[in-house]
Amino acid sequence: MVKTQTTPMQHCETRYFGPVEYAEESVMVFPDGIPAFEQEKRFLAMRQPISEPLVFLQSVANPNVCFATLSVPAACPGYQLSMTPEDLAALDLEKGRQPAIGRDVLCLTIVSLTENAPPTINLLAPIVINLHTLRGRQAIQTDSPYTHREILPLRSAACS
Amino acid sequence: MRRRAGESILIGEDIEIQIMHIGESRIKIGITAPKSVAVSMKEVKLVRQENLAAQLHSAAALRSMLERFIECPADGEK
Repeated sequence: MVKTQTTPMQHCETRYFGPVEYAEESVMVFPDGIPAFEQEKRFLAMRQPISEPLVFLQSVANPNVCFATLSVPAACPGYQLSMTPEDLAALDLEKGRQPAIGRDVLCLTIVSLTENAPPTINLLAPIVINLHTLRGRQAIQTDSPYTHREILPLRSAACS
Repeated sequence: MRRRAGESILIGEDIEIQIMHIGESRIKIGITAPKSVAVSMKEVKLVRQENLAAQLHSAAALRSMLERFIECPADGEK
């Protein structure tokens, strides 16, 4: 008989989704937080059928810190990462090549909404998570043609 | 001011900026500064402001986000 070892589920409070149950191994760890939220080091990626294609990035420690994000390949097909050697090292990724989105890393982009304007996504600094270790970082792209406020829906030219 | 690789610039008493290496399209810079001085790429400031703006501040912000994405899905073809 196969014994499966299960870790007890944890709970955290969230402002918009109420109490959320999660497995410790699904927590994404951001050792440096993200700019302006340096103290938030643990996040959950939450998707709900009703809010597809949005993925919510929820702080485990702070119920009030939550971002709406989109998968970068879905929002911008053909997007190429251009991470610095420092960012690659911080995420324990192989130096000398860019990680493959979907195979090596999960890549999300934070959505921003201001009144009477179309939503924008930050393709200058995507959220990159090592899929094998779940370490994450908001990685500012160095040789990137993208800005921190790309208007949605993207003109196809911006992504080809 | 013109500097070659290996040369430095001083700002005040205790900030030193050294040109470490000059490549084809980028240069490597070494910065020595007191701990009280934050050193970062200028883009970090943009990202910091954008993150503060993007944080879901209120239930109304969440609601309008959801409404937008029902109206305007990211993958326009579908």
